[in-house]
Amino acid sequence: MFPQFGATAESLSKASTMVFRIGTDAHLYDDPDDVSIAPLLDSKFDSEKCEALKRLLALIAQGFDVSNFFPQVVKNVASQSLEVKKLVYLYLLHYAEKRPNEALLSINCFQKDLGDPNPLVRAWALRTMAGIRLHVIAPLVLVAVGKCARDPSVYVRKCAANALPKLHDLRQEEHTSSIEEIVGILLNDHSPAVVGAAAAAFASVCPYNLSLIGRNYRKLCEILPDVEEWGQIVLIGILLRYVIARHGLVKESIMCSLQCTDSSHSEKNSSDVDFGLVKESRDMSGTCDSEFVNMVSRCYIEGPDEYLSRSSYANRVSFELNGAQFTSGKSNDDVKILLCCTSPLLWSNNSAVVLAAASVHWVMAPKEDVKRIIKPLLFILRSSNASKYVDYIRDPDRRFAADTVAAIGQCVQRLPKMTHICVDGLLALIRKEFLTNDFGSGDQEAGVLVQAIMSIKSIIKQDPPSHEKVIIQLVRSLDSIKVPAARAMIIWMVGEYSSLGVIIPRMLTTVLKYLAWCFTSESLETKLQILNTASKVLLGATGEDLWTFKKVFSYLVELAECDLNYDVRDRAHFLKKLQSCNLVSRGPEEGTNGLPEKDLHVVAEYIFGRQRRDVKAESINYRFYLPGSLSQIVLHAAPGYEPLPKPCSLLPDDLNVPEGTCSIKKGAADYGGTDGYGTSSGSSDDEEESASAYGSQRSITGSSGGSRGDDSEFTSEGNDNVDPLIQISDIGNASENENGVSQSSTNLVELMSNRALESWLDEQPGSSNPGISEQSKVRKSSARISIGDVGRRVKPKSYSLLDPANGNGLKVDYSFSSEISSISHLLVCIEVFFKNCSSETVTEITLVDEESNRALDSADQASVVDESSLLSYDNVPTLVPMEEIASLEPGQTTSRILQVRFHHHLLPLKLALFCDGKKLPVKLRPDIGYFVKPLPMDVEVFMDKESHLRGMFEYTRSCTFTDHIEELNKESGDSLLIKDKFLAICESLALKMLSNANLCLVSVDMPVATNLDDASGLRLRFSCEILSSLIPCLITITVEGKCSDPLNLSIKVNCEQTVFGLNLLNRIVNFLVECVLF
Amino acid sequence: MLQCIFLLSDSGEVMLEKQLTGHRVDRSICDWFWDQSISQGDSFKSQPVIASPTHYLFQVVQEGITFLACTQVEMPPLMGIEFLCRVADVLSEYLGGLNEDVIKDNFVIVYELLDEMIDNGFPLTTEPNILREMIAPPNIVSKVLSVVTGNSSNVSDTLPGATGSCVPWRAADPKYANNEVYVDLVEEMDAVINRDGVLVKCEIYGEVQVNSHLSGLPDLTLSFANPSILDDVRFHPCVRFRPWESHQLLSFVPPDGEFKLMSYRVKKLKSTPIYVKPQLTSDAGKCRVNVLVGIKNDPGKTIDSITLQFQLPPCILSADLTSNHGTVNILSNKICSWSIGRIPKDKAPSLTGTLVLETELERLHVFPTFRVGFRIMGVALSGLQIDKLDLKTVPNRLYKGFRALTRAGEFEVRS
Repeated sequence: MFPQFGATAESLSKASTMVFRIGTDAHLYDDPDDVSIAPLLDSKFDSEKCEALKRLLALIAQGFDVSNFFPQVVKNVASQSLEVKKLVYLYLLHYAEKRPNEALLSINCFQKDLGDPNPLVRAWALRTMAGIRLHVIAPLVLVAVGKCARDPSVYVRKCAANALPKLHDLRQEEHTSSIEEIVGILLNDHSPAVVGAAAAAFASVCPYNLSLIGRNYRKLCEILPDVEEWGQIVLIGILLRYVIARHGLVKESIMCSLQCTDSSHSEKNSSDVDFGLVKESRDMSGTCDSEFVNMVSRCYIEGPDEYLSRSSYANRVSFELNGAQFTSGKSNDDVKILLCCTSPLLWSNNSAVVLAAASVHWVMAPKEDVKRIIKPLLFILRSSNASKYVDYIRDPDRRFAADTVAAIGQCVQRLPKMTHICVDGLLALIRKEFLTNDFGSGDQEAGVLVQAIMSIKSIIKQDPPSHEKVIIQLVRSLDSIKVPAARAMIIWMVGEYSSLGVIIPRMLTTVLKYLAWCFTSESLETKLQILNTASKVLLGATGEDLWTFKKVFSYLVELAECDLNYDVRDRAHFLKKLQSCNLVSRGPEEGTNGLPEKDLHVVAEYIFGRQRRDVKAESINYRFYLPGSLSQIVLHAAPGYEPLPKPCSLLPDDLNVPEGTCSIKKGAADYGGTDGYGTSSGSSDDEEESASAYGSQRSITGSSGGSRGDDSEFTSEGNDNVDPLIQISDIGNASENENGVSQSSTNLVELMSNRALESWLDEQPGSSNPGISEQSKVRKSSARISIGDVGRRVKPKSYSLLDPANGNGLKVDYSFSSEISSISHLLVCIEVFFKNCSSETVTEITLVDEESNRALDSADQASVVDESSLLSYDNVPTLVPMEEIASLEPGQTTSRILQVRFHHHLLPLKLALFCDGKKLPVKLRPDIGYFVKPLPMDVEVFMDKESHLRGMFEYTRSCTFTDHIEELNKESGDSLLIKDKFLAICESLALKMLSNANLCLVSVDMPVATNLDDASGLRLRFSCEILSSLIPCLITITVEGKCSDPLNLSIKVNCEQTVFGLNLLNRIVNFLVECVLF
Repeated sequence: MLQCIFLLSDSGEVMLEKQLTGHRVDRSICDWFWDQSISQGDSFKSQPVIASPTHYLFQVVQEGITFLACTQVEMPPLMGIEFLCRVADVLSEYLGGLNEDVIKDNFVIVYELLDEMIDNGFPLTTEPNILREMIAPPNIVSKVLSVVTGNSSNVSDTLPGATGSCVPWRAADPKYANNEVYVDLVEEMDAVINRDGVLVKCEIYGEVQVNSHLSGLPDLTLSFANPSILDDVRFHPCVRFRPWESHQLLSFVPPDGEFKLMSYRVKKLKSTPIYVKPQLTSDAGKCRVNVLVGIKNDPGKTIDSITLQFQLPPCILSADLTSNHGTVNILSNKICSWSIGRIPKDKAPSLTGTLVLETELERLHVFPTFRVGFRIMGVALSGLQIDKLDLKTVPNRLYKGFRALTRAGEFEVRS
């Protein structure tokens, strides 16, 4: 009507937003570099400096690199204006690590600010100084933190606690004990705010030093309700760990109830009603649950990796919780006080606090008290479990409806009381479904129906006799249900429960006749299921029915043999043979086949008649990890995940030892033979481990005097540099690995640089002045030795893809090849060996990808692989089409190189093997060791890369290694030099590594030990890069122990890709401990 | 601990990054995140914890802004999520709501707040009261002042006293001429009424909101007449646990200003204030809709802002819906919204009309769920009653005020 008004209104609203934006920093964000920033930074007005800094901040926010302004910004750190200071700090923290030298310019200012009367200035200075993370100033920061930890201002003390993890991140061992001492001081602080921050520092700096907690345990419990919420979360976890390490598990808790005895069984059942509603507790009603809870509690304590890997060992070292590792929650004051102080926290506003408190109760509380955590947890969810599912079924979203039906099935499995209601509901639904189905509402309706029948199936499975009528109803509705999957399932039920009750057996004849009548019009899966059912029925049949069944069965088989689909034909042939004894008659005559009839009958019984064991539908993975942990949600151990400490691993004596000596004692004790989990004092902290390892070595070799041992504090930065080592490397090995040609050099030891060794020996007396200068010198003191024949002896492990028994006499093995695919870096090369073990020629052998094959299945021409269909995403096929083997004579062997792209480094890939026109499904299991390729580099590069991948990119595990013993025993007859023992160890280790993963041996460090039987200090470095991402991955193995005994290895992986690195580490540990069967 | 926090706009643009530890997180992770959230849709957005190839991500979305935090190590995931929620709340309070512009306009304040709220990946100061004293919220006066004088410092020169006190939530020693304290009971009714008109679930989720302007260090005690009806409770950190455990008394030193003292739940209520009776009958490709709304149990106060919303089934081609009271709108995403307002005395509001089904469909076999909204001032439907509010030392000129409000929460009627 009045367009001009509209325009005015629009411009008005624009104007008003402009007005609102006046005075904000909007223009700085929108055009941060519309003026020259540099002169503003040098301005003498604070406001101009501010503007410049804000512009820089805007650029940072938008992802631009403005580190080139660093020198000018640093100058402004001396400004008196707090706003300028704050902005400069924000900038500094962002770039300090990039520009360490310039950042040093600010240190003086921080030092000055630390003495400022304004606590805010002191706190900021400390935060920034620690936050810029420079190794050089670490000693200064340590002094500053120590001073601030005694500051009168609570805020400054809190910042001091937060600064400790920053200092710890620099990984300077010489500071460890001082840092822990400050943690101790702060934990003892009287202000709850400081205690909370100190708890966080404790958790990241020294989580194993539980003796620190022991000293203040009671006070910490009492202060817990007053601590800030974030501190509470961490502190609760620490206290829980402490109590378990100190006193063990609580006898009355769920964790133990089922481990102790079965005598509590009856008592347990009585409490079922209470627990029925709780998600977690529902397990108590099952039968296999004692085993299950046992598993859960062990996983909590040992960590799932250890638990699972242990169960796969041949020599299973059973870890039994003995009676001494339990305590009574009723008599133990420490347990009581923890439960008492955490229970009000269930009322916290912060859900993380509630969950942390609940997990304490879950693990520690007496069984009958656990239910108090239920309501607070449900309150968090703001929903009630009482709402019925029934109404959801008519929800417009049919996918959702299908899920609902599935959920009903699961509910029933857990709440047996609800069974009847649910089954009735589901049956009604099915009836309704096939009514509505008439007017074609598509796939989704079918999904709902199938899901409903599946749910019923799983319900029936639990207790077949009581659901006889349900089965009958389903069978009756068979005529009206059209969805093939649903029909197949009902038919399966007929076969499975054919002998159940009274009515079903009587119905069988009719049902079978009906099925035979409609056989030809059925779909594939239904046909197969009909055949199965018929043979099941036949097996169970007796008396006069037998004759009818036989007739029906023969008729069915005849029909099936002429079927278009080869699967159906196959099935028919198979069943015919199998049932031949039944078909002919039950006489004592010999079968036409070579096998005696009796055996055939047994086989048939075995295949069809066996009682099925209930497969646990629900994934129980999440129970492996502690409740409320990140790992529990992502379903793998996140880096830094720690299970609960071993019960009672903290001895009361530990509490009285002052920290300084404690850490030393710890180191010494660990080398007594525990595998890094034994004592709570935390030998699995690998930094510590290696530090003390070298400490002891130093005292052996340090001929220059006792001073070396004393100043160990200063030398730890470069473990590798200070140690008197000979470095051995085989540079030729990597290339050798790749082209498969072995070097002819049999000379085991070849000292390439005698002079370097001499020069190191000369340097020795001068090394009494420790420090940075020394580090650079010692690096050169290495001799290079090449191990020539390792590459030649590398034998990749072979896995079986197809057993001759399953493959008509065709045997297929595969081994991962160290070759690199030329097509794409995502592909892994696998060498596949085909061997014909039968007496007939096998023809047309090929391997194709299951997925792409499915599409071709119906066309019946699966051996022709359409290349375009293989090209899935990324344009890299899952499987590069393999050259077909036209024929394979009996006894003949041939091999093919297969290039495969695994979807995941842990999940197997389903392939289909075709031979003689038949399809055999096979599974190709990935080996993470071959998802990498060798990355040749020299030691310096290795060290450099390693130094960039510290902290959370570094993971360590320990294991024992025994392969070399056999090697040594074998050679003990020969008069080998003692030194060669080391070489033998190196070789067996390197061999093991290179045969199981596609790596490159970078270097071998050998200790020049006075004790010739002591292999401690032997170190091998391997390098590789991840195929898919080309991210380097560094592996260091450090040996500990005597040559002739099993060696303790500590394996360290440095890799930017966290999950991959962890999995690779686990794989390495697994194959290193595997025994070789020569 | 958290390594980095990103703020993403609703179009996926990274508005801000704040690195927290020495392990820098490249912002390419946000591209990955956004690609995933586009390709996977809502199911991805509802996942608070995501395992990306390189990092674990926590996401919280508030008012279109995505708060994304990254970590590579084990930490309690709820801690990350709760922290992000706290950041979102604080920013929303500071900036008066959240949107792309307001964050960009005040990016310096956002940076300053983040820097104060988290140190080395662990929360430092999250108490809004203290934050407000350290970093002044933007307001008209300061904006104008900054334009006029060119000086715009919003960073406090001194450390708030509360950082050191044992009641960190309380600003140190405020002074008021008029001492006032208001207590509001705000309740939301969650109910599910099934197809047969049976009340399947009915419960109240309530909050006790307090707005306090009291001088000095007041110590308050709030008691209920009938605390036994409360099923679940959760408290602000200022509430002392002991008095609640022993006598169900709320004893606390309040923060200054508005805060949520407690939240609670009352389960198994017997009735709802209004009834909604939907009737859907379908045949021959058409579906007749008739929905009646009326007062069931008069709460004694007027019920207003009554609304009814439902999603039309996807198999519907067109809808023709009219009402005898209020307005009916069908939104583009097939949501039908009927705003009734107050129920008139003389007639019962009803919605009638027909839906035309897709051509091959005879009858409708999926039925929508009706979401009901309403508001009742002056009544707490749970029946919870405040008995009294005591101050240990009564200041002069004290005013105490009490209010109650009930509105519909997740109130669903199925048809």
